[in-house]
Amino acid sequence: MSIWESIRTALNSIFANKMRSSLTMLGMVIGVCAVVLLVALGQGFQTSITTMFNNLGASALYVSTSSDKTLTTVRPLTLDDANALTDKTLAPSIGIVSPTINKGVTVQNGNNSANVPATGILPVITQIKTYNIDMGRFITDQDVANRASVVVLGWQTEQDLFAGQSPVGQSVRVSGQKYQVIGTIQKLGGMTGDGYILMPLSTMQSKLVGGTNVQSIAVKAVSPDQVDNAIAEITSILNARHFIRPGASSDFTIRDMRETLSSMQSTLAAFSLFMGAVGAISLIVGGIGIMNIMLVSVTERTREIGIRKAIGAKRRDILLQFLIEAAALSLTGGLVGLALAVAGAMAMGHIQLGTTTIVPEISASIVIIALGVSIGTGLLSGTYPAFRAAQLDPIESLRHE
Amino acid sequence: MIELQNLSKIYDLGEVKVTGLDDVSFSCEAGEMVSIMGPSGSGKSTMMNILGCLDRPSSGTYLLDGDDVSKLSDDQLARVRNKKLGFVFQSYNLLPKIDALANVELPLIYSGQDHRHERARKALEAVGISNRARHLPPEMSGGEKQRVAIARALINDPVVILADEPTGNLDTTTSHSIMTLLTDLNKKGITVVIVTHEEDIAAYTQRTIHVRDGKITEDKVR
Repeated sequence: MSIWESIRTALNSIFANKMRSSLTMLGMVIGVCAVVLLVALGQGFQTSITTMFNNLGASALYVSTSSDKTLTTVRPLTLDDANALTDKTLAPSIGIVSPTINKGVTVQNGNNSANVPATGILPVITQIKTYNIDMGRFITDQDVANRASVVVLGWQTEQDLFAGQSPVGQSVRVSGQKYQVIGTIQKLGGMTGDGYILMPLSTMQSKLVGGTNVQSIAVKAVSPDQVDNAIAEITSILNARHFIRPGASSDFTIRDMRETLSSMQSTLAAFSLFMGAVGAISLIVGGIGIMNIMLVSVTERTREIGIRKAIGAKRRDILLQFLIEAAALSLTGGLVGLALAVAGAMAMGHIQLGTTTIVPEISASIVIIALGVSIGTGLLSGTYPAFRAAQLDPIESLRHE
Repeated sequence: MIELQNLSKIYDLGEVKVTGLDDVSFSCEAGEMVSIMGPSGSGKSTMMNILGCLDRPSSGTYLLDGDDVSKLSDDQLARVRNKKLGFVFQSYNLLPKIDALANVELPLIYSGQDHRHERARKALEAVGISNRARHLPPEMSGGEKQRVAIARALINDPVVILADEPTGNLDTTTSHSIMTLLTDLNKKGITVVIVTHEEDIAAYTQRTIHVRDGKITEDKVR
């Protein structure tokens, strides 16, 4: 008997026993649905956390003044320090340098006021952190050169001060001085929140803090594999500028967010795996269900097997018939489960957990794995019953009532 | 066509050994119609199983159509059953969930042959039941089911049709029509071997072999 005939025979038998077939499939439907959906949620969670981190500039290095109390002289970081890092000959591995200053301020618009952190920035910051413009425009190099009295508002601050009115072109008071609002930023969500204002670094230095010091310098290497070289270059340039003797400790620290990010990611991957494992248990239960029903089916159909053998079915024909039945049942169950999982993922759409949005992600790999595992489980759980069926003695089977 | 030489079958049940057939020899020519009779436990079922290549003898030789089939493997026996034998059982043994046509096609599927529908239709016509081709066995009468079974037995042009109590579940009239059908097939040249315990049925055949305690006690040509 050809393989196509075996498949046809198996499918006919599945359709001839609709009730039993659908009950058998149910276990696989639930198993595959659970695995795909749980892993999709896990992956969605992982993606949302990773994106959030990246938007916050987690792939950058952060240089800040050391808080080590044992140091006798600590020179603050300055704009000149930041500029020195952009030297392409001394620092070939450094791609982007974005110095910032932070200060808590009170912003007022008429009677509305908010206490928010103000950050003095250079436009280059957008290459490290993601700021999506909602209205108006972002701070430009021109604004920095002119020390323009302009601010960009975070989403929450915009809501607090303007409550729905268009703020662009309006003026606000920051620590009593007048600034023009040139733009607003879309909601970021995440841990930092949306209550903040941004202004040109030069404006902040001259009007709010004085001097040329900066608080933090964010540095991005030219490529991810150059990060270690970038750290070395920052250290040697700033050590020289701060007159640190060889062997002495630096008066600044370089924070590498990659470690935090990678440990976060491995935690999330473990979480995903755990979700998958929970689903896998139901897949195993589904497989056992198939084996159970196939065994019952072999006993129930002993006479059919006897008849088939009497008229010329070989051992292999019977084995294949039952194996294909098991595989087809579980594959169909798997496909239905997958369809349910996709439908479920679409129905869930976006899940809001606090400020984090999770979008379930059904990837091609999980689909292939889930379907592969379901066929595999089917074949595995079908093997023993099929083997039993193939071994049956035709005389005994024909006598079976 | 069929030749048994010193054939024995001993069932080893661990503690005891039961003799099913004891040194049996007989032969039957192509085109003969033979009945095998005997009380229950006489060994006629054992003989039927061996003639039907469902079982192997413990010793002796069984030549079917000139080939020694007594030492073949299970799969080789399956092939012989498919190509050279046609079975007719007392309880019909049709698959209940597929229609008559599909039942008749089954042997062709296992030998991987083409034009199955046409051939199955012809076989159903030959036994006079083509009007029931699309019916499931549970929707048919005993006589109709047995005709379908005979069509299935005929489909691969077997050298022998083996009928095990073919009228055991049928009333007298239907029994008569089934036996007439088998006789007609025999007249067309097919060898028919019937196991029965009814004298009336044996009377349709030209030759009757009586079996008792695993031995042939009588071999009578009418």
